Amino acid sequence: MAAAGAVFAFSANWLACLLTRHSSTPLGLELTRNYFPSSGSNTVPPNAVSTNTNIQPQQTLEAQLRAEGLSLADSNLVAQVFHDPRYERDLVVFIDARDNDEYQQGHIPGAYLFNHYHPESYLVTVVPVCQAAQQVVVYCNGGNCDESILAARLLRDLPQVGGEKIFVYAGGIAEWTTNGLAVEIGERKSGKMREPRKSEDRKQGALRTIVPAMERT
Amino acid sequence: MRASAILARWLLGGLFIYMGLTKTLHPEAFLKLVRQYEMVANPFLLNSIAATLPWFEVFCGLLLVFGVAVRGSALMLFAMLVPFTFVVFKRALAISSVKAIAFCSVRFDCGCGSGDVFICHKLAENSLLILLAAWLVFNRGCKLCARFSLLQGGTIQEGQTAAGASGQSQQG
Repeated sequence: MAAAGAVFAFSANWLACLLTRHSSTPLGLELTRNYFPSSGSNTVPPNAVSTNTNIQPQQTLEAQLRAEGLSLADSNLVAQVFHDPRYERDLVVFIDARDNDEYQQGHIPGAYLFNHYHPESYLVTVVPVCQAAQQVVVYCNGGNCDESILAARLLRDLPQVGGEKIFVYAGGIAEWTTNGLAVEIGERKSGKMREPRKSEDRKQGALRTIVPAMERT
Repeated sequence: MRASAILARWLLGGLFIYMGLTKTLHPEAFLKLVRQYEMVANPFLLNSIAATLPWFEVFCGLLLVFGVAVRGSALMLFAMLVPFTFVVFKRALAISSVKAIAFCSVRFDCGCGSGDVFICHKLAENSLLILLAAWLVFNRGCKLCARFSLLQGGTIQEGQTAAGASGQSQQG
């Protein structure tokens, strides 16, 4: 029974890989591929909970990235990059390291999608862009997400790109939206934006809940 | 009794088909979840587990729904549920300890195919599924079974046991 199930499972995975190889959302996993190449120093994902590891403090993350030949970008640097005139000419670029569904739901305007689980689908577009750019900022969801680090490593190891110009935005799209910055929906340069809630709207919303409560008392 | 066996097979089988298919549609997401448990470091082993486990669940679920090798597939699901439940429990304990929150307040995606869940709900759910699987292993009913047992005569007539059916098939 177990053997039959194993044969079925391996065959199904192989078939899924074969049939969806050229799809935008490939199924199946390549068994021999290392999807999480490490720097050699720490292979534990940031959000693994154990007695030995914890969420990395900013300084530790910065030191780790520096040791790997990458750089850390904070919200100030990211905002600076976004408003840099070079951004319009793709001399500074954002790389979204999440999957297609998350990207479509909202990404930093003008960011290029790069799902490192299926690099073959994205390298054709991303490599020339990164090669020409002077600064490359890679991000994912932020918080405990380490996709940006994994994608940055992959880009760093490409001879056409190198690591000197690659920055990892640890805050990710979560911090971007928290800071009230606009988010683009759908495809890249779709023109569809989800505007942030202005601070006035947030205050009005809070007031609407407080006043009725006061009137009740 | 027979109706409850059918319902149990369909419920358990259907649930595992659904959970398995959900994971097969998002293989990288499941791979990331398996990785978080830190059970396996070798990439080939990690990929093999993440790639095949969902399909194995679908396989066992299909067998149960169609009533093929019922006891074997129930035993396979039981053998998966027990260690998984233990591992999920351990992880929840670790999260509770690190974040200093009540155990039942712990909520995370355990990789079961149902997204973020509260740990106490998940443990209760898994306990029920374990009991259901165990019951199916020992239950002799096979109403609406395509082939109750792969090896012992195939089908069981009403009122017979699995051993009785095996004896009959040998005489035949």
